[in-house]
Amino acid sequence: MNSSAARKKNILLIALLIPVSLILSGCADDDYAIEKRYWRVKKQADKILANPHACPPNQLEKTVSALNSFSEKYPKSSLAVDAEFSIANLYIITKDYESGRAQLKKIIKKYEKSKELAAQSVFFIGNSYELEDKWPAALEQYKRILQNYPETVKGIEIPIYIAQHYKVKFEPDKMNAALQEAISHYKTMAARYPLTPMSYTMDMLVAQCYSEMKDWQSTINTLNAMLKTYNGKVSLEEIMLNLSAIYSQKLDNPAKAIEILNVLIKEYPKSRYVNPAKDIIKRLSEKQ
Amino acid sequence: MVSLKKAYLKTYQLAKGNPVLFLPFAAFAAFEFVSLIILYLAPRMPLKLLFGPPIRSLWGERFLHYPANFILLPKLASLARVCLTVVIGSLLTGIATLLVYNLYKKNKPVIKEVFKTVLKQYLSLFCIVLLFTLIFYGLDKITSKLLIKYFTSGHTNLLFLGAKFWLGLGLMTLNFTAAVLIQSAFVYAIPVLIIEKATLTKAILKSFGLFKKLFLKTVALVLFPMLIYIPVIVIQYDPAFLITRLFPEAVLLASILSLIVSSLVVDLTITVTAANLYLMNKNE
Repeated sequence: MNSSAARKKNILLIALLIPVSLILSGCADDDYAIEKRYWRVKKQADKILANPHACPPNQLEKTVSALNSFSEKYPKSSLAVDAEFSIANLYIITKDYESGRAQLKKIIKKYEKSKELAAQSVFFIGNSYELEDKWPAALEQYKRILQNYPETVKGIEIPIYIAQHYKVKFEPDKMNAALQEAISHYKTMAARYPLTPMSYTMDMLVAQCYSEMKDWQSTINTLNAMLKTYNGKVSLEEIMLNLSAIYSQKLDNPAKAIEILNVLIKEYPKSRYVNPAKDIIKRLSEKQ
Repeated sequence: MVSLKKAYLKTYQLAKGNPVLFLPFAAFAAFEFVSLIILYLAPRMPLKLLFGPPIRSLWGERFLHYPANFILLPKLASLARVCLTVVIGSLLTGIATLLVYNLYKKNKPVIKEVFKTVLKQYLSLFCIVLLFTLIFYGLDKITSKLLIKYFTSGHTNLLFLGAKFWLGLGLMTLNFTAAVLIQSAFVYAIPVLIIEKATLTKAILKSFGLFKKLFLKTVALVLFPMLIYIPVIVIQYDPAFLITRLFPEAVLLASILSLIVSSLVVDLTITVTAANLYLMNKNE
């Protein structure tokens, strides 16, 4: 074979290799292929979620079965968990609460090592009771999250969630009691993990609870204590902004608000809050 | 004075009687198609190894997953088109222009010879297309940045219209107008370079001169074929809409439609008609 023919053969081989490798990469059963399959199944579920009352029973069964098959076929994919939650969601939205809760219990058992997933599942069980207008049963679930999974995202959010429920239902006494409980819970948590990001979050939530109760003095005391505790450890701009907002908007004390903002500008000259702080000072000065 | 209608008619006759004229544009469309397929497969192995890190750091992890990758696809395809236009499109436009010149002179063009001749002027062709592209993208960036700065600094209206218009349809219209005007200014540079064998600077200056002399005709020459492209721009404007209302792969189909229209219709009509108009004007 002469060199020209060999060269032509090589070029042909390369030209064939490119489309073949492209086609093969398109057929691989990789994460992307799994995502694509899940998207199709999820689209069926989304149709039911958009209009649950118009959904024929066989459609629900078909979708649940597709989601189940997906999670069984790809148990290691993070989308498998999403599929399982989608099943629970479908049952709950179509008012089959018992099946929904059974599915959520199944998730808790299956992923018992993941506290976040367990807390999320218990939260949805509580939600399902709320949808049935069974608040005591829902509250029992939420308290379970507080007891068993206090360090999870849901565990942190739940005390305020409970208080919000009473706020929406116009039950101020129960709301204040829930907020007091939340404050004591957050304070205990902050004491358990002193000077950590967790304690900082807890202290901020304590301040949020006091402000929900319109107890401005306690809010200020909490924020001032945070200024001392976390000085030099984290950026304190947001705490300062909160304090100045309380003084100017709630306590009608623009002079104190300006004083705090001036400290912010002095201590954090490169902060993204400097320009807004200057604008607020200008506005408050005009008001004075 | 040569009429634009005559130039378009000549383009039609040449294209109808000489399929060879389609070759450079079909070749560009093929390159663009391969690049589009590569970008479509970018979130998958083994291409993910190459494309994953830049996509992740420039746009975010979510664009490496289905179906969010389709939101980014038109943008990536547009970037690929820009690179291909500068690197390969410049050479192919030169080839197309020389083919038109040969056909105009009633010579039977031999594609291998045409390629060899044009290749000698590749650097100048590359510079012309690069300059045109840089000006267009520079203007595009400046306009959008100025508009964003204007509306984020507290203004709510510009010429009685709000931010929603200016940052959406308004910006698109401004970019389209800029594209037409810039392309019109440079449209004769390649014919001058290839036919007259002029230097790079002379070709660009002569193109500007002709643009000034034949302003309306040149703008119309570029504008009319580009109007065909407007429906494609509209289809591609909101990939998220195509994903949710149709299916994610509709974005890929829209991109394929876009490359067919732009390479085989718009580019062909503008390049061949510009060469025809230049030759007709020269021989008058």
